[in-house]
Parts: sequence; structure tokens; C-alpha cells
Amino acid sequence: MCKYCLQHGDGGKWYDNARLYSNELADEYNMGEYLEEQWRGMETLFIRKILGFNSIGLGYKMQMPIIGKVLRWAVERQIHSESKNRKAIRADGHFGQVLPMEDAIHILGNLAAEPIIKNYCICRYMQRGVKDAVCINFGQLSGVIEKHTRYIPKDVKYKLDREEAIQALQEQNEKGYVASVWFQPVPYINAICSCETPECGGLRLRNDFNLETVYKGEYLIDVDIDNCQGCKSCVSMCQFSALRYLPSIDRVIVDLDKCFGCGVCRHACEHDALNLVPRESVPGQAGKY
Amino acid sequence: MVKKTKITFDHSKCGFAGTTDPRECRECLRVCDPAVLLLHPTLEDHPDPHNPEKWIVDAIWLSKCTGCMRCVEICPENAIEVVPGDSLAYIRST
Repeated sequence: MCKYCLQHGDGGKWYDNARLYSNELADEYNMGEYLEEQWRGMETLFIRKILGFNSIGLGYKMQMPIIGKVLRWAVERQIHSESKNRKAIRADGHFGQVLPMEDAIHILGNLAAEPIIKNYCICRYMQRGVKDAVCINFGQLSGVIEKHTRYIPKDVKYKLDREEAIQALQEQNEKGYVASVWFQPVPYINAICSCETPECGGLRLRNDFNLETVYKGEYLIDVDIDNCQGCKSCVSMCQFSALRYLPSIDRVIVDLDKCFGCGVCRHACEHDALNLVPRESVPGQAGKY
Repeated sequence: MVKKTKITFDHSKCGFAGTTDPRECRECLRVCDPAVLLLHPTLEDHPDPHNPEKWIVDAIWLSKCTGCMRCVEICPENAIEVVPGDSLAYIRST
């Protein structure tokens, strides 16, 4: 992710750059028009074709000799596209990064442009049949999504002030949903999701097909060997299967290659054994997103 | 050679033109652990582009299907056919 920090971060993390949330930037890039077109087709994203291929059986398609590599190259190019003729209906330029609750709260409290709304997660509905109002959207995206009334929760306040948005995000994080922040499209930031594996479209494409729709976070979990009591409560929280309990040494270990630094495991630990450390401070993981 | 899993839905039973509206049912979505299946609107034109009406279920992530057959068993319309093949292991980056 560092390349996006360098390009768009203005000296820091990309998602800490206030300008990327602003209406000024959104207007400059005509993002409103892009978002209308994108959300017109969001639910049909996986059945639309790229280079003649839709996502049905994507895993098999990407295994095909030569064609599989071309397909992967084309998809990656579209996911990260910053070109003027990128296609909104394919959600070109839409990708994000996992982040811990604290960073997400900072965004909602200080950087996200109002109005802030919460609406049903489209992936959770399409893949699980469950209507879960966990997607927190803001800026010009709010107005776009409101028109699609099926996303708007009934009988529940969906227009949130900053405090309410923070509260919602915190509840979702404590449940174990992974917080993620999104370029939609790059460089405009207008969404913080609370993802569940394997339903989340972004996490699916990264975890199962290694497409860079979602990047690993700026942090990693560190297990405090002295504090860990081996209660195993954290293990079931991890959506990336990064935590495992070893009976031989009666403590939990973390697979740093798998850890995305979401930090939800910390909510389960009652012994202060799990802490997030910056990715850059771990020599073998620095720069690996 | 990888044997591909084949999953077909009979849309005359499950679908907007069928006997059961999948938006009401959703049973197969609940039981599929790897979430292979997708409830989605069709690519056809919808009268209101903001509120599509024609929804069907299809299998999308075929390579994740492990052949448990729970979807086939649970479907009240017997609309699903599964011929299990090889499921591809997770491809993870390091």
C-alpha cells in the first residue's frame, strides 16, 4: 500500500489525507457521476464480463495457461485504474485496505465528509441472504446510495452524526467484523466497511484469488508471550486464520504472513496479550501489503 | 487436469419467473459455508434502474465448492444440481 501512501498520502498514510475525503476533490474528478454509474451496476459486478470473462468459476479461469495470466493482469489493471476512461460500471479504481478500529474511528470523527449513512452490505445480502446495516458510507456516496431504497435500513436511524457512526463502527468491530477503508474510485475515499469473510467481495478476491482488491493493514499483531494465558478466545475471531493455539507451549501464535492487522482479535483477549505494532517495525513484513 | 465443479440452477423453479422468489427463500445462501452462491439481479433492463426486480441465484465461486451438497438438500424447489469437481486451495500472498 505504500505506493498509494507515497502518491496520495501527502506525507503520511493515504487514508489520513483529509483532501481525499473532500467535496472539492470529488467535484474536481466528477466523482458523483462515476458513483451513480457504479452503483447502478454494483450487484451485477460478478456476472459482467472483462475480456469476455465473467467471474463465474474465476478460480478455474485464472488457472488456465497464458489466458489466466492475461485475465489476472487485466483485472488488476482495472481494479487500480486512475485513467480518465476507466469504467464505473465495472467499479474500476475501487480498492481498499484493512485498518484497525482506532484508525477508522479517527476517519469518522475527523476526515469523513458528511452526510454519513449506514446501509445494508450488498455482499452480505447477495452471498448470505442477510441484511446487515454495517456499511458506513459518506461524502457524495451517501446521496447516491439513498436512491437505492433497498439498501436503506427500515425503522432504524440510518443518517448518522459522527458520534453515532463511531459507535456503530465500534460495535461492529467488537463483533469481529474487519474494518476496511476504500478508494471508490481512487483517489476519492467515501466508505468504511465492516467485512465478513468469505462474503465480502473485496476480501474474497484477495484471499481466494490473490487479486489486490484489499491490502493488508499498516499494522501487525504481536503476541505478548508472558501475558498470553492460552485461553484461545482470540483464535475464532481471526477471519484470516492467522492465529492458532499450540497446546505444546500453551499459547497462541500468529502467522505474520496471514495477519492483516485488523485488530479485532484484541477484543476477545482479557489478558492484554494482543497488541498492534506498525508493519514497518517488523523486518520481514515491512512493505508487504 | 483440474476437474471443474458444475453447478446449475433451474431458474424456472427458483427465480423471478419461477415458482419461488429467491429473495424470499435464500435457504441455499445460508447453508453454503464457502459462500459459493450469489443472489443477484439479472443483466436485463429493469423498469427502475435504482430498484431492480428480476433476481436469481447462481453459483459464482465454483472453485470454492467442496461438494458438501447441502444446497441441493435444502432447496425447497429442488432447483440445484451439483456435480462436484476439484476445489482449488486458497491462493494466499505472503
